[in-house]
Amino acid sequence: MDEKFDCIIVGGGIAGLAAAMILARNNMKFLLIEKGEFAGSKNVSGGVLWGHDLARLVPGYWEEEDGGWERFINHRRLTFMDEQSTFSIDFKSSHFNETPYSGVVVLRSKFDRWLAGKVQEEIDQSDHAMESFIATNIKVDEVLMENDKAVGIRTGDEEFHADSVILAEGVNNLLTRQVGLQDDYVPADHMLTGIKEVIRYDQKVLEDRFQLNGLSGMSNEFVGYSTDGVEGGGFLYTNRDTISLGLVAGIKDMREKEKSPHDILNTFKGHPVIQDTIKGGEVVEYSAHVVSSGDKRVMPKELYKDGVLLCGESANLLMNAGKAIQGMDLAMRSGILGAETIVKAKERGDFSSQTMKEYRQALDESYVMQDINNFQDAVHMLHSPEMFKDVPNLICDFGRKFFTIDNEPTKKSREMMSESIKEHSSYWDLIKIGFKGAKSL
Amino acid sequence: MSTLLTHIAISDGKIKRSSLEVLSHLRQQAEANGHDTEAVIIDQNASQYVDQVKEYGPSTIYTIEDPIFENHRNTPLLKALGQVMDEADPHVFAFGSTESTKDILGALAARQDAAVLSDVSEFELTDEGIKARRPVMAAKILSDSVAKGDKILVSVRSGSYDLDESSADSEVVNLDFSIDESDIKATLRDIIGADSDKIDLSEAETIVAAGRGAKDDEGQELINELASVLNAGIGASRALTEAGVMDPSLQIGQTGKVVSPQLYIAVGISGAIQHVAGMANSKVIVAINKDPDAPIFDIADYGIVGDLYKVLPPFIEELKKIKS
Amino acid sequence: MKFYVCIKQVPDVDAPIQIKDGNLIQDTDRMILNAYDASAVEEALVLTEEDDDSEVEVVLVGPDKAQETIRKALAMGADKATHIKTNGDENFDSGTYARILAKFFEDKEYDVISCGKQSQDTDAGLTGGMLAQHLDLPYATNAVGLELEDGNLIVKRQGDSGQEVIALPQPCLVTCSNDMNEPRIPSLKGIMQSKRKPMESVELEDLGLDESALQPKTEVTGYMEKPGREPGQKFEGEPDELAEKVAHLLDEEENVV
Ligand SMILES: Cc1cc2nc3c(=O)[nH]c(=O)nc-3n(C[C@H](O)[C@H](O)[C@H](O)COP(=O)(O)OP(=O)(O)OC[C@H]3O[C@@H](n4cnc5c(N)ncnc54)[C@H](O)[C@@H]3O)c2cc1C
Ligand SMILES: Cc1cc2nc3c(=O)[nH]c(=O)nc-3n(C[C@H](O)[C@H](O)[C@H](O)COP(=O)(O)OP(=O)(O)OC[C@H]3O[C@@H](n4cnc5c(N)ncnc54)[C@H](O)[C@@H]3O)c2cc1C
Ligand SMILES: Nc1ncnc2c1ncn2[C@@H]1O[C@H](COP(=O)(O)O)[C@@H](O)[C@H]1O
Repeated sequence: MDEKFDCIIVGGGIAGLAAAMILARNNMKFLLIEKGEFAGSKNVSGGVLWGHDLARLVPGYWEEEDGGWERFINHRRLTFMDEQSTFSIDFKSSHFNETPYSGVVVLRSKFDRWLAGKVQEEIDQSDHAMESFIATNIKVDEVLMENDKAVGIRTGDEEFHADSVILAEGVNNLLTRQVGLQDDYVPADHMLTGIKEVIRYDQKVLEDRFQLNGLSGMSNEFVGYSTDGVEGGGFLYTNRDTISLGLVAGIKDMREKEKSPHDILNTFKGHPVIQDTIKGGEVVEYSAHVVSSGDKRVMPKELYKDGVLLCGESANLLMNAGKAIQGMDLAMRSGILGAETIVKAKERGDFSSQTMKEYRQALDESYVMQDINNFQDAVHMLHSPEMFKDVPNLICDFGRKFFTIDNEPTKKSREMMSESIKEHSSYWDLIKIGFKGAKSL
Repeated sequence: MSTLLTHIAISDGKIKRSSLEVLSHLRQQAEANGHDTEAVIIDQNASQYVDQVKEYGPSTIYTIEDPIFENHRNTPLLKALGQVMDEADPHVFAFGSTESTKDILGALAARQDAAVLSDVSEFELTDEGIKARRPVMAAKILSDSVAKGDKILVSVRSGSYDLDESSADSEVVNLDFSIDESDIKATLRDIIGADSDKIDLSEAETIVAAGRGAKDDEGQELINELASVLNAGIGASRALTEAGVMDPSLQIGQTGKVVSPQLYIAVGISGAIQHVAGMANSKVIVAINKDPDAPIFDIADYGIVGDLYKVLPPFIEELKKIKS
Repeated sequence: MKFYVCIKQVPDVDAPIQIKDGNLIQDTDRMILNAYDASAVEEALVLTEEDDDSEVEVVLVGPDKAQETIRKALAMGADKATHIKTNGDENFDSGTYARILAKFFEDKEYDVISCGKQSQDTDAGLTGGMLAQHLDLPYATNAVGLELEDGNLIVKRQGDSGQEVIALPQPCLVTCSNDMNEPRIPSLKGIMQSKRKPMESVELEDLGLDESALQPKTEVTGYMEKPGREPGQKFEGEPDELAEKVAHLLDEEENVV
């Protein structure tokens, strides 16, 4: 039974599933292969899927009573923390209650499985209902290449042929390297480790504590003590009856400071403010995963070659410019654009670089590459020690002074500010950061 | 007044303790609800066990004695059990949970059109039948069930109830039994590895259980030595029975035996839920594992993080000193 | 030869679970092929491998959603399937399933029916024996090894004290332990072929069972957490010292050695 597919997608994460949805909708004959027991079984994510692309894939997803998502975000908070204090910028707006939502919290093992179900429904309605597949529990070992063109894949001793291959294998991109789109050696310096706990509460308790209404939710990012002096940041997202609490931390910096992600998370959880925030919950899940830093220097040389495209984090598409981690939305958009390119290639009967390069163009024109390019400075700045140490310390110090009323003559806030600055940073450094910050955001 | 009947299982020439546990409980239930307690022994030497059963106070003891019951065979056993049910007309017929009862319980229920709950850890009579508690989802949680009707079968996990003697002058009813060999279509050809000297795990006071960490000869030797010092039964995780290192009858867990000793020492066992399903009711659990995050430590009363090859020798020595 | 394997879709016990007001709530609807049934399918495939005329058919009673489980068995290599459809919200117990299956088998020809020895989620272990009784078949439970020998199925079953070797004349029924083999993981080709294999759907109503036969005789009334064990002590350090310490604790504190 050696039949040829239009496309084989490797990886059933966000990027792969988004691509599959578009292929199914366009009546393509394809195979999606996921190595986990089911789509999502191997996926870890803190969890906010930003933007509106989900509505493109699953129109009206918000109407589904028990869809794959947990809560929509209408409350955002950015928190600076030092050892004892937190200083937050808080924004909540009913504007965010409108559908399609601009961000939904997801738990990947549930969300991916749900999305895979939606893709299957689309397949069932397509012209290739019997010939297109989502196959799980199968690991792709190799992309078959002929004259430097991808022609299929091998798993164990089985080979399958296709006109094109979409690599959506995630950050651990062995096949991307095998086809020669990325050097074998990617310095770990530009990678982060993400770890996350899912902590369960009585749903009522959770809703009261975080002032949630119906399925509204909150996202909270943390800068400073949350990573115990290591570059990175923390996060807290509300799910239906759990929270996702975790952090991302630079691998190189952790190594140099001899800290493990586990220790850092414990420090974060031990912070007096966090203790109050999370008390009474029961940890029901713990997971860790590598994340790209969003540094363009680790991006593959190119995102395509004859017969093959890279989507999602296998191309290191990720953005973390301080206000949110964006990996899933970029994965989704790149999957959509990648699949659209394959559809075009099929129409033209040309799967060579000639067509594939249009994927790159589409990506360049979209917010994905525009944001990645525009915010590189912010990305670099975020990884500078001032940002995860001096600035939060300074802000919290100022906050402590500002909010203290101690029956002594009160100084003007300007004066408080300059005292804090002297203690935690020099004027010169601050001006540098301010300048860099203004430029980068 | 209805009859509460207990099946007395015999294995390797002894009454299974779990049968007596069930009988003790059923008699208490009968006393509280004004019912009658009866028991049945089906064995090649059934009458031999009558006196011991009397200690637990049933008003009637049925016996079916026939050479065909030398070994477990489901066809004659089902016939005999059916005959007893016709005779005693029990409202509740209770069994200790053993491999032999598991073999016939479903078929007996279907034959008698009875309601049945298997492997319960607790049960009591209600107005309509019985209410029972069972571990489910690989014993991660408990469920409450009810069985309704005038004929109810129930099997009970060993160790669920304490023995409670209360001697009675039971009436003994010997039932005649006969079966045509031609009605028995299945032939028992052989029994492999039956070893009557082995300590019965479901009744052992102390169990030393070995996992993949103790797979090699040296590990096995240490396990044997530890077991002999403590006069313990030896059990195993599936990793070892599957690898053929240990006899399959020693497997403890969801697929294997359910045990509830006073002391359970898990050596080189990670603590997968399917293993824990079989031993979580042990009174004191000791775990020896070199991985500090092994899930077995979540349920162990005493956890030793360390290499078993380094921990066991001094542990055995110390226990020897204590014992002497 | 004709093998039927009864397979059931069960919740994955490894998935997180939660209890709310006595109801069982599973975080995800993670459903799998009962592990014991996977072993039964595997064994049927192995036993019939050499014989081209043989056929392995799987039978499942369950809701539409359970079709993914049927596909899994087909992907492993079973030849065909029957899906007896239920709504999925009935509170059927082992007895009901056994009566449904018995009705289905009433007019079928077969050499061997095999079942799993128990459901992974409920551990009931009843259906196989009940079905054998309804169909009046010789049977054995808890098989850890199977062999074919002209007209007989040779079952090695794990008994209380040893392994009983039993010859069952066909037609017969056997329930399988997962200790008898390591079920294969479907290959990609297997998964692809599974879509094209015949799957017959039968509406439960069309089987012609009496309403009374569908009435379960037992009912689950609620779920609850297990009473937690007191958190124990975990010791790290020098093996000699730990060994000595714990030995004495067992003696003096617990009195169990
Ligand atoms: C702790 C943490 C928190 C995060 N928080 C956020 C957040 O809040 N918002 C956000 O947008 N992003 C977040 N991210 C990033 C986000 O998770 C990733 O960017 C996103 O998952 C990338 O999607 P993907 O589809 O490219 O890859 P993945 O989701 O990693 O999917 C790749 C899939 O391919 C499969 N696969 C790999 N190799 C093979 C093979 N050889 N054969 C078959 N299958 C294979 C894998 O099993 C996997 O399922 C977070 C990441 C982490 C670790
Ligand atoms: C339906 C089903 C039913 C099952 N039924 C059962 C059952 O009845 N019983 C059962 O046991 N399993 C059962 N299993 C299998 C179960 O899931 C596990 O795979 C099995 O229990 C693992 O055995 P283990 O702990 O010995 O091996 P592993 O999980 O491999 O653990 C070995 C442990 O030994 C430790 N170790 C290694 N070397 C050393 C050393 N030198 N010193 C100290 N520690 C060391 C390791 O840290 C590790 O924790 C079942 C599975 C399924 C799906
Ligand atoms: N709904 C069902 N459809 C098909 N087979 C079933 C079903 N329920 C139970 N069985 C069979 O019975 C075995 C489990 O019996 P029990 O433990 O009584 O639930 C399974 O391994 C199957 O072989």
